[in-house]
Amino acid sequence: MPESIPATLIIDTLKDTFREARAAVAAEVSDPPRHSHLGWILSVPDTHQKSVLAALDKEEQIRVVTCATEDEATTIAAGLHIGGEPCVLMIQHAGLYASVNTLRGVAIDGQIPLFYMIGLLSREKDKAPRESRHSMVRYCEPLLDTFGVPHARLEGPDDVHLIPEYYRLSRARKGPAAVLVGLETI
Amino acid sequence: MAMKPEEILRLIHAQRGSAICVPTMTTAPAWRTIAPDDLSVTCVGFMGGASSLGLGLALARPDRRVLVLDGDGSLLMQLGSLATVAGAAPRNLVHFLFKNGVYHTSGAQGIPGGLTVDFVAMAKGAGYRMARAIHDIEDFKRRLPELLKAEGPVFVELHTGLAEQTPMTAGGGVPFPQQVTDLRAKLLKPRARS
Repeated sequence: MPESIPATLIIDTLKDTFREARAAVAAEVSDPPRHSHLGWILSVPDTHQKSVLAALDKEEQIRVVTCATEDEATTIAAGLHIGGEPCVLMIQHAGLYASVNTLRGVAIDGQIPLFYMIGLLSREKDKAPRESRHSMVRYCEPLLDTFGVPHARLEGPDDVHLIPEYYRLSRARKGPAAVLVGLETI
Repeated sequence: MAMKPEEILRLIHAQRGSAICVPTMTTAPAWRTIAPDDLSVTCVGFMGGASSLGLGLALARPDRRVLVLDGDGSLLMQLGSLATVAGAAPRNLVHFLFKNGVYHTSGAQGIPGGLTVDFVAMAKGAGYRMARAIHDIEDFKRRLPELLKAEGPVFVELHTGLAEQTPMTAGGGVPFPQQVTDLRAKLLKPRARS
């Protein structure tokens, strides 16, 4: 059965992911950006990940930009990437549906590595998302498949290694990659 | 008389220094002629994204100015970006809005509200540090140096006529993925591989 993941574990994993990303950029370029923070979260607040967002409010090493729409979050992430900054998008499945044209135009056609953490709000604990009675849960993985976006599910604390793995994958394939947050974080 | 977009772009190019520029839609064909090989990336294929693309660049590179060359129809597609830009408060962002009241690229259909839409009021209401409208090219020439130095985010509504070209009449240009690669390389300077 899936388990909820503590916010502190996700934030520590994000910090490690950002450190690794910064080191990779610094190894490749002679003029990397110089900031005191580790990386950026672009968020359209997600009920499913609200404990992480609340904990991020107290974090000085991670900057959070709250966006009005997922279209904006995706495009801001593109600008940060061009400028050499690591970032993660934290959105909800409904926001993914709302921003598919930007996902297509920016991340896929634009060949920009973007890493998404997508909350599966209302996902039933005893069901695979594709079997959910809620369409917003049921359509998420098939939509990502349709657009050729590789994805994996965080089903408990043991799965947080997927965060850096899929972040790296987005860089390697020069396009989007996503992890789906299976249960509400705690 | 409405200002000519091409004249405005030439003036911006002449005074921009090392600023990164983000043109979109009808500012794009003229910009690539006026500034063919420089620090620019065109918002193409995701209409309405210029202000957000500029915001990401401004946050990543606070050492440089970022100039967004937006359109009124484009901005209406992601109007919430005004609040997002203002909330992030990048001191190095100048958001120029070329206001002509129509979707020029798709055949000059009127935008919702036409020329009566007050983008300056919206930008001020969203929280931009400075927002003003300019109707006259001589006024623009006078104010441009101050606008390029002012603490951002700055919003400038420019009352213009139609551009000579649109992305439909003057297609081509460097594909977006190549523009991204080129600009990233210019900003970060990749090490030569041994």
